[in-house]
Amino acid sequence: MRLTALLSMAAKAAFPHDYRYGTSRPWMVAARRVNPPGKKRRKVFVEPIANEDWHVLRGDTVEILSGKDKGKQGKVSQVFRHRNWVILEGLNTHYRYIGRSGDYRGTYIASEAPLLLKDISLIDPTDRKPTGIEWRFTEEGERVRVSLRTGRIIPKPVYQRKDGIIPQQWKDGPKDTSPDDALQKTYTPSLKTLEEEVMEKMNIQEDRRPRKSYWY
Amino acid sequence: MAAAVTCRLSAAFCRQFQRVVTVSSYTQPQYAAQTIYKFQSCQQRAPVYSRALHTSCVRNGLDEFFDLPENWGEPTVKSGAPWTAKQLRTKSNEDLHKLWYVLLKEKNMLLTIEQEAKRQCLQMPSPERIKKVERSMKRLDTVVQERADSLRLLQTGQEKARPGAWRKNVFGKTIWYKFREHPIPWHLNTRYKRKRFYEPLHVAPYTRLSLEKHLKSKVRKERREKRQQEELAEIFPKKTAVA
Repeated sequence: MRLTALLSMAAKAAFPHDYRYGTSRPWMVAARRVNPPGKKRRKVFVEPIANEDWHVLRGDTVEILSGKDKGKQGKVSQVFRHRNWVILEGLNTHYRYIGRSGDYRGTYIASEAPLLLKDISLIDPTDRKPTGIEWRFTEEGERVRVSLRTGRIIPKPVYQRKDGIIPQQWKDGPKDTSPDDALQKTYTPSLKTLEEEVMEKMNIQEDRRPRKSYWY
Repeated sequence: MAAAVTCRLSAAFCRQFQRVVTVSSYTQPQYAAQTIYKFQSCQQRAPVYSRALHTSCVRNGLDEFFDLPENWGEPTVKSGAPWTAKQLRTKSNEDLHKLWYVLLKEKNMLLTIEQEAKRQCLQMPSPERIKKVERSMKRLDTVVQERADSLRLLQTGQEKARPGAWRKNVFGKTIWYKFREHPIPWHLNTRYKRKRFYEPLHVAPYTRLSLEKHLKSKVRKERREKRQQEELAEIFPKKTAVA
């Protein structure tokens, strides 16, 4: 038991409490180059926003309020909650070379820089202007985002899953359980343990008596 | 509208996909011990699986370690979502028992594929399948544990399945000592009698020091948290009106 705990500890990547998390995952090569173990960086203060108050979701169309691309609207492609960052598709870009090797200078690509939440504003679908957002409950009890200016509900954005699956177009494979079978209820509560029930069903007769053992 | 919401939720639920074969519909229970005879006679596979498989030659069950032939050589293999604990709680104990072995065999098959891919220095197709199966198995185990725990609490009132006791070990720390099963009583067990469940005299000062250390670190942590909250409040003053 302690061996598995040790192994799991070794497998889990451990980072110091003052590690500065960036856009790439901490175990990737780029992140390891920027934050090698033992490097101490100036602390960044992140405004604490509760999970319930976070209103920007992936796939939302938002407008940039300040910065290079001020006034432009774009779709959110990534959200980083640990730094209150949002990455939009193709906006707030800087250019860099990627895939450098030897003499080849690499491909020149545009890479997006993250934007803080306070520089972003969700767009009201009616007039397509930036607006403040509040979480409110509808009459049915659903929690929705409501624009403060017009009072219109902003629907949840549709975004393709990372594995490319569209739930409406899913076809079960040979090893998948059909939804009806998966949701079918077969459990009847009883005062028997799993072992007893299974032994009954499989007609296993256990006549042996367990040997007397001592627990200490 | 509430009905529409629940309808939509249940429809989304129904469209969920699990990566395990149907286990609820069967005519005869098929047991692992009996499948050996099945393969020797090359009969139709157990009705536990939703489709029939005819094997051309006897491979003594080794073909269960490999994927379906149509997936050989594919770069990605489609797989559904893992079982959730909520879905597993609606299944009977017998279904869970069968599901466990189906998942186990699937895991063995995937691990074989992984090892073979490592051996040939290739990438395994769809490695997320292993994680899905592992999660399903973990959730199944959780559900079974829940049922066993509830039954034990009801019948005996004991919270823990494994007996134990709070004891002071030789380092002066009070720990939950988990009992082990032995064939002989403790007064005949020489190795157990050599274990010391008391703190020797020379260890007492260190217990006091470690307690001091623990209390100090707790106070320091609380002060640090408070200071950090004050710093954050200074930098990010809370606005009364929501932005």
